[in-house]
Amino acid sequence: MATEQNSVDLVDGDIVRQFARAALLAALLGAAAPVSIPIPLSPAPITLQVLFVFLAGLVLGPVWGPTSILLYLAAGAIGLPVFSGMSAGLGVLVGNTAGYLWSYPLAAGLIGLMVHRDTELRDPAAVSLPVVIVALVVGTILIYGMGTGYMAWLLELGAWEAISLGALPFLPGELLKIAAAIAIVKSGRIKPIQS
Amino acid sequence: MLTYDPDDTLAHRLDPRTKLAVQIGFATTALAHTSPRALFVLSIVAGLILFSARVPLLEALSAYRFALVILAIAPLVAGLTLGSPWFDLTDASASGRASYRVLLILLVSAAYIRSTPVRASRAAIQRTIPGKPGQVLGIGVALVFRFLPVLQADLRTIRDAMAARLGDERGVVERASTLSLLGLSRAFDRADRLALALQARCFAWNPTLPTLAFSRVDYPVLAGALVLALSAAL
Repeated sequence: MATEQNSVDLVDGDIVRQFARAALLAALLGAAAPVSIPIPLSPAPITLQVLFVFLAGLVLGPVWGPTSILLYLAAGAIGLPVFSGMSAGLGVLVGNTAGYLWSYPLAAGLIGLMVHRDTELRDPAAVSLPVVIVALVVGTILIYGMGTGYMAWLLELGAWEAISLGALPFLPGELLKIAAAIAIVKSGRIKPIQS
Repeated sequence: MLTYDPDDTLAHRLDPRTKLAVQIGFATTALAHTSPRALFVLSIVAGLILFSARVPLLEALSAYRFALVILAIAPLVAGLTLGSPWFDLTDASASGRASYRVLLILLVSAAYIRSTPVRASRAAIQRTIPGKPGQVLGIGVALVFRFLPVLQADLRTIRDAMAARLGDERGVVERASTLSLLGLSRAFDRADRLALALQARCFAWNPTLPTLAFSRVDYPVLAGALVLALSAAL
């Protein structure tokens, strides 16, 4: 019988902890897909997914935040029902919501970079409030810009048609999510892993 | 909900990498063409793919119902115009054809989901993407599969507890932040325990994987995937 001999290349302790958090946050993103909270005077209830994208950037930082979201996208692509309406499949990653989905890792990375400014993580509760707000607003603009832009191209819609279908109904909810994300990091109950 | 279903169809016997190539090829060419003739050919190809995996069509359509709503509304929104003639048929039909190809792409990926077990997909990812990124993606995806039901139960427990304390009558921001703060801190507690357990079991960059091999039927299907991808340039 043929045998193989390789030495074991162990993974660093800090990396294991960050990696486990990234994987669990990716699963949480999937678990949050069917959870929605209705808001008054709006046709679109808020879902917690974008909130967890914000938190991926804020708590996991510019490297592991995007990694976490790529894990979520990969798990959905090979069949775990984690996309909106509990759907799955590689087709969703080029379908009408693909622009939003691909913007998530970029937004998490951008938010992580703006808040932590380095791969060494800082405690987001100690970062000044305007920096956090600007980072989250820029992240939101990126998500909706890519989401509606791709939708307009794919479904051959005009710019305003895509915005009224893919962005306007959700904007009030987005402002509430930014407020919720700030409340969570400023509560200081979730600490990033600092080496 | 569409999931893997053990069976002995042609699609089930193919290597997962071949099936991924077919999906990428199909999506590439579908994104490049919207003419009625191209859509007719694409529909036939999609039909054959669905038949080869024996996908129940209604189940697949209901799995993508959220996307279907947008795909149905888009042509209406595209057609509506302020002022005469109020509804522009050319705009609406262009958008309708564009939406239809997205539906075909979604159905083709349903065939993959039905015919491919997770561990095969994971092995395909880990073998196709070299080095540490492939390892992180492969193991990470397996962990996401393992922990999704656990975290869904966590979120359910938190929501029940909030409802029992009339938490669902609070403001939206408070509800969203309580739910996600508790969900996240539970998830991170689990992550820290998981990290410890992984280290205790010598979590390494080079574990042993199940073997994957191309069989004779893989080669013609792989060639078909290439033809599909190249037809994007037609």
